[in-house]
Amino acid sequence: MLVKRGIAVSPGVAIGPALLFGTENFKLSRHYTSKSEIDTEVGRFHAALDAVCADIEENQRVATERLGKEYGAIFGAHVMMARSPELISEVERLIRDETNTPERACEIVLNKYAKLFQELGSRYHAERAHDIYDLKNRLLRQLLGKQRQEMSDLTEPVLILAHNLTPSETANLKREFVLGFVTEVGGPTSHTAILAGALELPAVVGVGEFLSEVTSGDLVIIDGDRGEVIINPIESVIAERRAAQKKNESNYAALETERTAEPITADGERIQLLGNIEFPTETEHCLERGAEGIGLYRTEFLYLGVDQEPSEEDHYQAYCKVIEALGGREVVIRTLDLGADKVPSVGGLLAESTNSALGLRSIRISLQYREGFKTQLRAILRAAAKAPPGSVKIMFPLISSLNEFRQAKMVVRDVMDDLDEAGEPFPRDVPLGMMVEVPSAAILADHFAAEVDFFSIGTNDLIQYTLAVDRGDPAVSSLYRTGDPAILRLIRMVVEAADKPDRKIPVTVCGQMSSDPKFLPLLIGLGIRRISVTPHSIPELKAVIRRLTIPKCKDIATHAEWLGLSRGVDNYLQGELFKICPQLVR
Amino acid sequence: MGGQSVSHTVTVRLENGLHLVPCSRLVKLANGLGCDVRIRKGSLDADIKNIFDLMGLAAAFGDQLELRASGDRADEALAKVVQLFESNFAD
Repeated sequence: MLVKRGIAVSPGVAIGPALLFGTENFKLSRHYTSKSEIDTEVGRFHAALDAVCADIEENQRVATERLGKEYGAIFGAHVMMARSPELISEVERLIRDETNTPERACEIVLNKYAKLFQELGSRYHAERAHDIYDLKNRLLRQLLGKQRQEMSDLTEPVLILAHNLTPSETANLKREFVLGFVTEVGGPTSHTAILAGALELPAVVGVGEFLSEVTSGDLVIIDGDRGEVIINPIESVIAERRAAQKKNESNYAALETERTAEPITADGERIQLLGNIEFPTETEHCLERGAEGIGLYRTEFLYLGVDQEPSEEDHYQAYCKVIEALGGREVVIRTLDLGADKVPSVGGLLAESTNSALGLRSIRISLQYREGFKTQLRAILRAAAKAPPGSVKIMFPLISSLNEFRQAKMVVRDVMDDLDEAGEPFPRDVPLGMMVEVPSAAILADHFAAEVDFFSIGTNDLIQYTLAVDRGDPAVSSLYRTGDPAILRLIRMVVEAADKPDRKIPVTVCGQMSSDPKFLPLLIGLGIRRISVTPHSIPELKAVIRRLTIPKCKDIATHAEWLGLSRGVDNYLQGELFKICPQLVR
Repeated sequence: MGGQSVSHTVTVRLENGLHLVPCSRLVKLANGLGCDVRIRKGSLDADIKNIFDLMGLAAAFGDQLELRASGDRADEALAKVVQLFESNFAD
């Protein structure tokens, strides 16, 4: 049994077989073979080994010819490893005595050798460990006759273990076959974390290097409450976590009874609870959980998992689906919010894509490459014609200056002119708002307030930019503190700027902060009345709201702001939550 | 196993230590010998027919290794292995 710790990003406990999803990964559909097949299986192993050695010998010949004997000798040594009697007899033994498939036997034996080398600690040996992994992959490729595992061809429920998951990989997975996620890198706001939250699957990220210690098919527990990953757990641990799993479910079921209750505080203040979605199909799920509408529709998922940029029709169909499912409730559609490397038509234009959080991304792409932006806006406006006036809102991400917001607004006007000319119906007064996620936008919120129809505070990026912490870098992830007093002050500034005597501008908080029940009293105390969250957390947030009063929230906010240290804020809020709703304290 | 057992100590003079290629030379040589030869480095012990064992020694430049041969014509076998070390694995 091996226990690894990481950052708990999506609650719950999952128990099941591991699937290693990496750069080289193979689907081992069978782990065991039948006794009658043993000779055939051993034969398959030798055939694969011969083919791999022939391959390496060919490399050896070419290397000797072109680079000299000493280079060729390296490949010769690789063949020697592949043909070493110890390796062969161990693989054969695993097939004959334990009826493993040759695939599984190779995986076990070569992983073992690679690990031995890694443990020697020198860089030279670490590289040799890579050679052994490479040998393993060659063997598996031969044995399986192909091919990397694709998330889309999962056929049984597994826990996904990966170094990192790209958004397109996560977007392509078949949800019914995924029980949970673990990644070596990533922080609380990585795409894996967001998606796991949306799918209501337990997830732990930022575990650090551990994949070499796991084999696909190993039994693994993901504890998304404690942030633990347990590989090959012993019986008593399995039993204990199964009990925790049950308790979670019954806790959730108890809160579920509050699903239909109104999100109104004990002293009668109504809080609007909206849902965040990535895919149109999630809309109904949001409503089932008790959301009043969609406060954040992340449209970039339309761009992921496809080679071509989505057409106007692709956009239009997706938006119509959401609008239809909402039956007149509101939806805030956020325009493309991705790094340049993820946008097919733009990625190719870049000499070098650094994919930096400070680089060409999000609204900056939309404003530089306007065709794609216009396509998206046309689709939104056309779809909005099918919804009640004002219920479809457009939101621009990563706005950092007034000028950017004005430019975006101008493009909307251009698109409206085009639609007019084409005789397409659209709502002329569609509300236009912005994400407040760059500190400059929060600082100048009073200026923006004169020009926008709404604000939405994106806490994930606001924290990253304010504290200068790359949220994807595990080495600094402990510096990413949601409760930092600087963040609280920026939120208060936005709320105050939006509360003008002549016109009150709605302020929503979206992002992970608002889904965490301990921050809710604070946000309400700071004056927030609209929250957009992963649908899963709506029932528990409702339960909290119904136990709060506005004066109590104001006290909590004032005290938290006074504390000055993020750790102090976290502890204080945790304690307050315990007083309000003890069953929610994790 | 019969016969005698002889030993000899050598020093690794390969700049990069006993890395993959010299290990493979040792294995090749060992396969042509009629007896057992083992290498000891501190508490680690390797069969020179086993490339993974040899790599596992992680023998670096300057390390002292004890070679021990046993079985028929152990003397001759040991001499060949020592010779390989002394030639510093030259071809």
